[in-house]
Amino acid sequence: MITGEIVSNTILKDSYYKVEFFVPEICAETQPGQFVHVKIANLRDRILRRPFSISDINENGILTVIYKVVGEGTEVLAGLPAGTVCDLMGPLGKPFSLPRENELPVIVAGGYGSAATYLLAKRSPVKGILLLGARSEADLILTDKFAAAGFDVRLATQDGSHGHKGLVTELIPPLLKEKSGQKIRFYGCGPTPMLMALSKMLQKNGFGDGEVSLDHLMCCGVGACFACVVKIKTDNEDGWRYARTCKEGPVFTADEVYTDGE
Amino acid sequence: MADLTVDLGKLTLKNPVMTASGTFGYGFEYKDYFDLRRLGAVVVKGIAMKPSHGNPTPRVAETHGGMLNAIGLQGPGVEKFLHGDEYMPFLRKSGAVVIVNIWGKSIEEYRDVAARLEAEKEDISALEINISCPNIKEGGVAFGTDLNLAHQVVAKVREVTSLPLITKLSPNVTKIADFARAVADAGSDMVSLINTITGMAININTRRPKIANLTGGLSGPAVKPVAVRMVYEVSKAVKIPVIGMGGIMDGDDAVEFMLAGASAVAVGTAIFADPYAPLKVIDGINAYLERQGCKSVKEIIGGMIR
Repeated sequence: MITGEIVSNTILKDSYYKVEFFVPEICAETQPGQFVHVKIANLRDRILRRPFSISDINENGILTVIYKVVGEGTEVLAGLPAGTVCDLMGPLGKPFSLPRENELPVIVAGGYGSAATYLLAKRSPVKGILLLGARSEADLILTDKFAAAGFDVRLATQDGSHGHKGLVTELIPPLLKEKSGQKIRFYGCGPTPMLMALSKMLQKNGFGDGEVSLDHLMCCGVGACFACVVKIKTDNEDGWRYARTCKEGPVFTADEVYTDGE
Repeated sequence: MADLTVDLGKLTLKNPVMTASGTFGYGFEYKDYFDLRRLGAVVVKGIAMKPSHGNPTPRVAETHGGMLNAIGLQGPGVEKFLHGDEYMPFLRKSGAVVIVNIWGKSIEEYRDVAARLEAEKEDISALEINISCPNIKEGGVAFGTDLNLAHQVVAKVREVTSLPLITKLSPNVTKIADFARAVADAGSDMVSLINTITGMAININTRRPKIANLTGGLSGPAVKPVAVRMVYEVSKAVKIPVIGMGGIMDGDDAVEFMLAGASAVAVGTAIFADPYAPLKVIDGINAYLERQGCKSVKEIIGGMIR
């Protein structure tokens, strides 16, 4: 565990916030797709930590987390001023693998799934494509950062307020046509139904390798409590097992994801 | 430094602090945090004969001062536990004092797991019989809420092993002391309590239960007064050592259990908040003893003054 001082904590856009912690020890080891497990200071009467994807790190020891206020924990976090010290565990979890030289990275993100894949885009040796979908324009975040990292950004909103009207996964077939003959490596991060759809597409069509970041309500963060499990294909009589997203994930290959009945 | 060693019948521990089963994995998960030999004992997550999936998700929900869980005893099964790298072989190398928690769906399965562990008992210091998991339909609490069945499970396990036996009791009964007497009579060398208290929580927006299993076990500081009361009642009712647990967050909480009659304690949910919680509890007990001028932790066991 590491104590980290909040350097800044500000509104990014609408209900999305950006908090920066000074934690050089964690930054030194962070790989794209990993998370920190944070004990939120001043959160009374609540004992559990909250896991947050690491969105970015820099050489000055600053670690960035993008979060949305969704409950009591994030509400209290949003009120913490710079200078507040929190206690963090991390970096935790299995990271994304970087694309190989001959692979075009395509990130398929839903909602603030863009936050958890930004470091991947930044570190990717090959500049690729971000397909980002959200409910509405207000939920599209970090698009400028991805563009600055050299990624081709394509957007979809369910209400049609920006980009393609519909689901982000609908952007995949035209992209495949456009990039036919090229080896693609997919990365998924976002709501579970989106990740299931992406994994199903990849399993069925085999048009590229893929990795998805799954999560579930988490307690310990280190694989001890078996709370945060998801179904992963396994060679047993049921064809699946429950794998711990904190320790065996959050990143799994799209091939492993058990999509039957989901 | 006060003398922290405690005697639990045949078992002597360097300090009275263990990990509560289910909250510390198999020790392996915390190997990078501290040397497991610093703990009184590591109590591993429940082991049955076969691997089991556990319950559907969501499995946990946070509540005021605690949490509900219905993990449902997901586990590797006894063979993988004995031979898989992340389980007993790791624990053997770690030098930790190991207590193996066992469960079954039938009395015979409890006996078979115990017999299997007895056959390879090197570096296993004791077995903890879980007759109190509230989250599985077969086994678990069915044995822990029926005096006759509780007695039978312990008696069957007693037949096949010479290892010290701890029976983990359910708080979801009217008179827990009766269960302590029943399992002591069946040959249990110790009792541990409390397991979690059955509870429930509903998301009012979706109107769905917060836990897929509908009900879950409540743990954390919210349950501590109930647990202290039950430890007190049980320690008055039986002569065998009592291991107290339920919401212990720091050394002062542990001391409270010991004053109520516990010879040792276990830290559980606190580990999720802070992996170092068991070590802080050890330090906190020592600090209390020094403040109170006690030379040994044994001086405070059952030391409540009325």
